[in-house]
Amino acid sequence: MILGYSFPTKEVPPMSPRKPVVLLLLTVLMVIPTIAQNAGPAFSIPNTTLAINSPTPLSPRVVHYEIDAKYDAKTHGLDAEETLTYHNLTGQALDIFPFHLYLNAFQPTSTWIRETKRDGTRDVTFEKWESKNYGSEEIKRFEVVGQGDLTSQLQFIQPDDANKDDKSVVQVHLPKPIPPDGYVEFKITFHDQFPETLERTGWKRDFLLGGQWFPKVGVWWHGAWNCHQFHGATEFFADFGVYDVKLTVPQFEMVGATGVEVGNVNHPDGTKSVSYHADDVHDFAWTASPHYKVYEDNFQGSMGPVKLNIMMQPAHLGQEERHARILKQTLDHFERWYGPYPYKTLTLVDPEVGSAAEGMEYPTFITGGTNWWMPKGFYLPELVIEHEFGHQYWYGMVATNEFEDAWMDEGINSYTELKILDDILGPRTSIMNQWGITMGEREMQRLSYISVADLDPIARNGWQYASYQSYGGISYGKTASILLTLEGIIGEDTMRQAMHTYFMRYRFTHPTKEDFLKTIEEVSGRDLRWYFNQAVYGTEVLDYEVLKVKSTPVDWYKEKFKEKKGKTEYESEVIIHRKGDFIFPVDVAIAFDNGDKVREHWDGQDRWIRYSYQKKAKVATVEIDPDHKIHIDHNNFNNSDLAERSEKPTRKLTNYWTFVTQFIAQLLAWWMV
Amino acid sequence: MNDKRSLLSNGAAIVRRNKRYVVWFFVLNLALASMGAAAFRLHAASVLDRSLYADGVLHGFDLGIFVEMLSRPEFGPMQASTVPGLILAFLFFVLTLIFLPGVFLGYASDRRISREEFFRACGKNVWRFVRLAILFAIFAGIVGGILNGIQYALAKAADKTSYEKLPFYVQLISFTVIFLALTAIRIWFDLAEADVVITDQKAVRKSVGKAYRQTRANLGRLFGAYVTISVVALLVLTIGLVIWNVIVPPASVWGAFLIGQLILLLLLATRFWQRAVAVSFYSTAVAETPVEKQPAPVNLTAAATPQAGGI
Repeated sequence: MILGYSFPTKEVPPMSPRKPVVLLLLTVLMVIPTIAQNAGPAFSIPNTTLAINSPTPLSPRVVHYEIDAKYDAKTHGLDAEETLTYHNLTGQALDIFPFHLYLNAFQPTSTWIRETKRDGTRDVTFEKWESKNYGSEEIKRFEVVGQGDLTSQLQFIQPDDANKDDKSVVQVHLPKPIPPDGYVEFKITFHDQFPETLERTGWKRDFLLGGQWFPKVGVWWHGAWNCHQFHGATEFFADFGVYDVKLTVPQFEMVGATGVEVGNVNHPDGTKSVSYHADDVHDFAWTASPHYKVYEDNFQGSMGPVKLNIMMQPAHLGQEERHARILKQTLDHFERWYGPYPYKTLTLVDPEVGSAAEGMEYPTFITGGTNWWMPKGFYLPELVIEHEFGHQYWYGMVATNEFEDAWMDEGINSYTELKILDDILGPRTSIMNQWGITMGEREMQRLSYISVADLDPIARNGWQYASYQSYGGISYGKTASILLTLEGIIGEDTMRQAMHTYFMRYRFTHPTKEDFLKTIEEVSGRDLRWYFNQAVYGTEVLDYEVLKVKSTPVDWYKEKFKEKKGKTEYESEVIIHRKGDFIFPVDVAIAFDNGDKVREHWDGQDRWIRYSYQKKAKVATVEIDPDHKIHIDHNNFNNSDLAERSEKPTRKLTNYWTFVTQFIAQLLAWWMV
Repeated sequence: MNDKRSLLSNGAAIVRRNKRYVVWFFVLNLALASMGAAAFRLHAASVLDRSLYADGVLHGFDLGIFVEMLSRPEFGPMQASTVPGLILAFLFFVLTLIFLPGVFLGYASDRRISREEFFRACGKNVWRFVRLAILFAIFAGIVGGILNGIQYALAKAADKTSYEKLPFYVQLISFTVIFLALTAIRIWFDLAEADVVITDQKAVRKSVGKAYRQTRANLGRLFGAYVTISVVALLVLTIGLVIWNVIVPPASVWGAFLIGQLILLLLLATRFWQRAVAVSFYSTAVAETPVEKQPAPVNLTAAATPQAGGI
């Protein structure tokens, strides 16, 4: 269904009613081709709903991509024709359009490679450059319908750094601006050379993950184009719209992609064309491999059924139900806690092992990560699948700017990940529960944070963190930990309500950090600036410690004084110290050796506080935050103190270490003599 | 098969008859490891002993808490806790090298040798055993290096295929081959060690040559016995760890200590069993082999002194 036409009126010459009819007709006949050539034909963004469980579009549809691509599995190259229709909803005329050419990042002098070489990333260290790492996205022809071929006008720009060799963003200046509410159609012929996967996209053996593979227009955001270069630690940002993509691949390939499959035609030359349609998404990814084993399942969502396509590696058969189970459990939790999943499909790709394409999100299309030997108590597949599915909400629908606010997709998603995995797998066992060894998601997130605690604030552009470790520790770990701690302030139910409100209010939009923070304040009815200023905008570190615990007999000075349990009166002193700069109110639990318990509350404003008690009992234990509501404390060990040392944990670990060294010694002696 | 069984049972009988060697080496192993763990204990205590948070590693094993402990500045750098243990593990190897000649002598004797005989054998053969260890390292290094290179190339080739399990199987088979090859070299040098001690052979190269010929001629028999014992060791380790995990409560430090030490004692015994097999084989097969010049055997009776305590 076509929405309507938009003609730039100044391009159409006005007709005089006094002219003779013939002249009028002649004029019209002369003008029509002019309109067609100069003003452009009728453009629109379709308001289709084929791929969503909704009778009407869900997003402000800014773009419509129609791509006809042919993939050469031998060369890992792709030739494509892209037609992009852009609806100018910016409220002002636009004559400049920037485009992402992400695959150009995989070139040795690009910003992505430079930053990756400098800081490292999740998957690569670049000990040496290899030709198979090379990727490119070359625009062969760039036409603006109605304005002609502008290929020669294309200019690479570097909005974030001075690296003139970076070609991940290209810009075009249109001779004729596109008026507010007007449309423009770009016809782009391009060639991709996929790299062997360095991160997210590319090939590995005969597997391909096509991500960030087509020229994609930037986002007009807050009165300016937002089209950042591709950085080592950043992800993506794009406008919502409709995608119609035809992929021509060898017939032996199994294909999966964003959206719903709408066509599959075999050609005599041994290729086939698989067509996909997607509504209300802001990206399109696809995969091809001859080896996939496809497992299908269904989930009944609140807006309608969701078809689950799980594309497994042959070596992982047997784990498909494990994948489906966690996927459905995750969907169920998201629907109940945060809001509905409106799409008709969800494709979960189990990528080629070692492909560096594991654990990535695209609209209605995610990649997992497992191994053929994965024990049941290692919850890596569950963690990855939950996390990547979570991005359908925090990135997919609530489409924050991943370049500038990485914490709003990765961090918020890490928070909901730990909440959901805690609920499914248990708070202390949601990462691992094998051979008596356990680990919980909340601990993992906190550990990643405390390793870089004071390096960067959360509110920082993704490419400006001190290191890749800091990017991960802060944007994922710190965000998850501060939101979990926030639960302790406003309550778990209120926090969940705030997350639900945030999702429902900002789905299919590009919210800012303040949109999120204000929603929490609004729902909780509390001024939380004191917390956000430190936790989100600051680098203050929270560290409370039990500084001193001492019980002194009141009658210590008397001659022949002898302590008697239950009869001797003690003056007990407890000092709590705020070591870090992060000010946070805390509870303190003091237990006495006669079983008495006292609970104190300290606002944490001063650097320390002293509590004194006179009782016929000595202090046995002191614990800060006894309810374990704080998840950003830099050192959990000093949050408590025992009057009498407990050596059992030390003895246990020492015993383990003794065992290990004995074993090493025997192994050495076994072989060498 | 009967030969193999008799080798195994003879070896086992020798170990049983000389249990004290296994016990002493076990005590040495434990004592050195305990000393090596002192730094770790000290550092861990500074973090754990006064904290309720440490409960997570006592009642269960919370990996997150353990990792956090290691990352604490008061725990110190990892090397400060681990290097002493590794140095003392190396010291155990050195002491094994020094005292093993006495064990070989004891195994070769049908009576309990005196403490003086034991230490005399150790002192007399220490440099010979050092040379044997160096030679073993050279041969094992060459063979292991070549096989490891082949393994690496095969694994790399296997990694190019889409059959995900193939690299694993290639590595498994490769490691098995490397293990078997190193076991064969170990047999060779165990026989050489037995020869050096029993015949008081000063020229180590002669023992190495003789042991090589014996190993080559009887490889199947010896190999079967050694691999069988290695499998027993693997089973001891696996079953022991499973029992540890299933039966011992997480907070039971003594339970964990006892089961852990039992595993290590049995592991140590299996290696002594292999050495006893080598001595048993040497005592029968080599003694029956006609040689051009028979080295003068150690006169155990004459070497024994009435006042010396047995060892």
